[in-house]
Amino acid sequence: MEEVDMDPEKASEPENVEVKSRVFTLEDDKDPGVELSGEMSEKRLQEREKQISPRRITNLQRHLTTLVTNIQTAADARESMRRKELEEARKMRLELLENDMKSSQEKFEEITRGWSLTKEKVSAQELQEALNNQQLLLTSLLEDKKKVIDELQQELKLGDDHFVKDLKKQAEERDLMLERMEDQIKTLTKAYREELAQTQSVNQRETKDLLTNDTSDWEQRMKKLWDTEQARLAQRRKTVEEYEAKIHSLIFETMDKQTATKIEQNAKLQVLEREHQKTLASIIVVRLNQIKEKHELEVLTSSRVDSLQTEKKNAVAKPNNQPRKTSQSLSKDYKQSVQQYERLQKKLKQIVVADARTFEEMWATVEAEVRQLAERALEIDSLICRQHFGVAWERPPMPLAASSSSFHTERQTHRPARRAVSQLYHTEQSLQRSSQRTTMGVDAETESADVDHASMGGTATQSEGDAELEDGTLTLETVTKVMELLWEEVGFLMEDDPTLLASLEKEEQTAIKLGSLLFSFGIEEEDLPKLAHFLLKYRQQQSEQTERVCDETGESSDQAAAFDPTSDLIHPNHVLPALKSFLNQYMKSRQNSCQSSVVHTEGRGSSEDKAYWESLGNVIPDSKVQLWEEAEKTLTQYIVILTDICALDTETDSLRQQNAELRMLLQQSLNPQVCHVTHQ
Amino acid sequence: MQSVASPWKRMQYRAAHHRRTVEVICPTIATMPKSYYPPESNLKAPDGMRKTRTIIAEDPHWTLALVPRLSNLCLQSIASNFEENPIFEQLTPSQRRFIQERLSPSLPLHITANLISDGIYWKRCCELRWDLCDVSLYGHSWKRMFFERCLENMIELFIPDVTEPKTILDMVPHCRNYVKRLDICQLLTPVKEPQRAEEEELASEHEYEGPSVDHFDFGILLDKLTSLEELHLVYRVKHCGMNFEWKMFEMTDRDCESLAKALMSCKTLKLLRLHQSHIEDNKCRLLVKHLLDHPSLKVLDFSHNLIGDRGARGIGKLLSRGNLEVLNLCDNVIRDHGAKAIAHALSKNSTLLSLNLRLNRVRDEGGQAIGEALLKNNTLCHLHLGGNEVTAPTAVALSEALAQKNILKSINLSCNNLGEAGGKALQGAMSLNTSVTECDLRLTEVDEQIVAFINQVVWTNESLEEERRAREKTDK
Repeated sequence: MEEVDMDPEKASEPENVEVKSRVFTLEDDKDPGVELSGEMSEKRLQEREKQISPRRITNLQRHLTTLVTNIQTAADARESMRRKELEEARKMRLELLENDMKSSQEKFEEITRGWSLTKEKVSAQELQEALNNQQLLLTSLLEDKKKVIDELQQELKLGDDHFVKDLKKQAEERDLMLERMEDQIKTLTKAYREELAQTQSVNQRETKDLLTNDTSDWEQRMKKLWDTEQARLAQRRKTVEEYEAKIHSLIFETMDKQTATKIEQNAKLQVLEREHQKTLASIIVVRLNQIKEKHELEVLTSSRVDSLQTEKKNAVAKPNNQPRKTSQSLSKDYKQSVQQYERLQKKLKQIVVADARTFEEMWATVEAEVRQLAERALEIDSLICRQHFGVAWERPPMPLAASSSSFHTERQTHRPARRAVSQLYHTEQSLQRSSQRTTMGVDAETESADVDHASMGGTATQSEGDAELEDGTLTLETVTKVMELLWEEVGFLMEDDPTLLASLEKEEQTAIKLGSLLFSFGIEEEDLPKLAHFLLKYRQQQSEQTERVCDETGESSDQAAAFDPTSDLIHPNHVLPALKSFLNQYMKSRQNSCQSSVVHTEGRGSSEDKAYWESLGNVIPDSKVQLWEEAEKTLTQYIVILTDICALDTETDSLRQQNAELRMLLQQSLNPQVCHVTHQ
Repeated sequence: MQSVASPWKRMQYRAAHHRRTVEVICPTIATMPKSYYPPESNLKAPDGMRKTRTIIAEDPHWTLALVPRLSNLCLQSIASNFEENPIFEQLTPSQRRFIQERLSPSLPLHITANLISDGIYWKRCCELRWDLCDVSLYGHSWKRMFFERCLENMIELFIPDVTEPKTILDMVPHCRNYVKRLDICQLLTPVKEPQRAEEEELASEHEYEGPSVDHFDFGILLDKLTSLEELHLVYRVKHCGMNFEWKMFEMTDRDCESLAKALMSCKTLKLLRLHQSHIEDNKCRLLVKHLLDHPSLKVLDFSHNLIGDRGARGIGKLLSRGNLEVLNLCDNVIRDHGAKAIAHALSKNSTLLSLNLRLNRVRDEGGQAIGEALLKNNTLCHLHLGGNEVTAPTAVALSEALAQKNILKSINLSCNNLGEAGGKALQGAMSLNTSVTECDLRLTEVDEQIVAFINQVVWTNESLEEERRAREKTDK
């Protein structure tokens, strides 16, 4: 059995080895082929590699599985052998048993024959012999059987041992199989890993190759691109430079042009400015001329004929002088506007006077009406007092008389003011008239003779100043003189720059000086003659005073005489106080004139008038009114009673009538009866 | 010193105590997903601020996200009350998964079996019951695995006349739709009563007073399992120990009868494997008789039994009257007559793909018959004649078939004394053949060179086959 068992093992082991060797030889055989082909081309080599690795793995799989299955097949073989042997053993056993059975049968038959023989035997000895013989036979049979049994038992034992051995063997084989399986798994995993690594490496190589190829390609292309880009860039730079140069040249050109135009324009501007300055100067000159002309005009207008002549002359001489014309027209306009203003003022004053008159009339009528009403109320009161209450009525203390008187007095006080106003007005009018006259005169004078101006001034002013003193009017000469004097004396009050004035002519100087002076004093131009007049008067007064003083002292005449020639108009020292006094007066008068229109209304609106009117309104005091109301009440009650009585009267009348009728009827009815009775 | 030291010690002790309590509290808080109060409320200890602060600081898991969502709470309550109120169908897939993860595996099967689909729940059930769970053997279905193994366990532990058959029948409606395979590796015999020895004397008188069934009766079960496809059966007892009796490893006649009827009633069966069960000719014939014209049976495995020529004749009949594709009769006692019967059937059959007659006693007569039958057969791909005491004539007959037809793919003639003549015949045949990819000639006394040559041919055929397959794949 052992040998048989070992056989398949032995058979399998070398087989394995040989198989392995064969595989290796196969691989070895192929290797040179691979090398040969490798010389042919690399691609093929790679393909071969790819093909070889799976082949190797399949070989491995095959051999390892055969290694494992070898055990199984060996076991199978052993099993079949065992079975064969078992069958043979059984056969032998069966034969043995049959033989045994046959021999034992023969013996048994012999024994049974012996038993039948014993029956024939009679003697005890024979019987004994037979019995012994039988016993021997039986023991031999038994021994045979025992032998067989022992043999069988031994076989059984052997079989058992075999079975145990087989079991052990099988267990060992199983372990071996397990081992080999594990080995197989290990080797296979190893192989697979190797293959994986190989494939990975191949893959990596491929990817590397691809990567390198791609990178090289990429680099090449990048280089190309780079080159092209750089070429383009260079081109672009060139173009940029060209354009820049162009732009620079253009800029310079335009700059040159601009500067040229600027210079030109500057030159033009300078020319224009010069012209403008020229024109300005000319305008100033024209203005100055205008002022001059004004003066001239003023001078001219003093004598109308001369002025006309001069105008004609001017027209003939300078027909093309427009500024003069315009100035003339302007002066005309100015005059007209001045006249209009004056007219308006006049109208205003007239309107004011008319308003005052109407107001007075209104006042009177209203007062009369109020008085009548008061009288009536008082009468009614007296009636009520006397008749109703039966009380002696006393006339309440009459405020009317006093108030009216006061009013009258007031009116009288007002009247002088009004008169003064009218006087002032008149004087103003006359003054204006005179001033007009004087201006015309001055114009005439200036027109007529400029040279004579200074020489004639002294006498003319004196004479005219006298005339003026009489008429209350002054000549321009005197006025101007006075003004100059004023300027000299009072000029220190001004803040004007003398240098400005210095450039102007003397006349203009004086004119401007006068204007500023008057402006600073707040005196209107119209009041100028008044001022002159006042100053002259003041001188007279002063002189009178001085005369009086002189009379008193007896020396002042000489002083006055000494004073007079130097200043025939007014003493320069007296100018300032005179001016002050004039200003005071003037301000007062102005205030008056301003207020005069208001005085009529405002004066009336005063508290006195209010009281007066209230007293008129409250002729009947509140107590009286209460009394009246009560009286009214009683009277209304009384009237009601009276009306009742009246109604009752009518009723009584009707009743009386009825009564009378009834009486009549009674009498009539009685009378026939009476008659009848009488008849009867 | 004592007075100075004692308060200090006390303080230390208190601090340590505090830390301990904190450590005790912290994990409870961290593992409290079901606490409906926010953790803060729990932390507000009356001791003071220090404690609460330390807790929050030392609990790295504390976040606001720990506060469970209402939907999660609802699902949790559903999972906890699943027995009373099973709500599953209405839920969305994600919610179902949530519930499956939380359901108790001990829920009664009548609730869960037909409600909960294959998934995590069944996985949990399986892993709770068994240590080894290879779901790939069960078609990657945890539910199938659970029910199959449940049923197998119940059958394997079924003790005739002790266990109520009802316990198994109760299981049927739950597992009916999911059991596809039953792999039963033991069937218990009835319990032997102590006074058995005394009764043996009376056995002749009361012959039928023994156990009503010798093993579990499949008749009550197989017709109810509507999706059963595979049945693996062994009539044996595992771990019998010193109670060994031959009866434990035998299928009795009564068992055979009931099983045959049960198999006939099971119309969906595709695979029947009845091995190591001491099947003799009579039993085999009985089984085969009932398996004749079975509508779906494809694979029949009677390996490691005692089937002889008569049984083989019956199987031959089954081959001609069935749709068998795989027949495994290895390790039986089929001799030349039986082999002839099978060969005769094989010559007419057009369905069988694989025939395994390993470890039989076919001998040359049977082998020759099979070789001749292969000339007529056009389907058989795999043939195993290992250990059949065949010799050169069989090899010659087979080589004829191999030379003429390129159908057989694998042939196993190991452990047969083919001899030089047989080897040469095979070499000649293999030089013409292109289909054989597997040829086992170990321990056949054939010359090594011939074996090598044949192996070479086989490998070339294999590589050709692979190429063909690869081509087919690429064509597809």
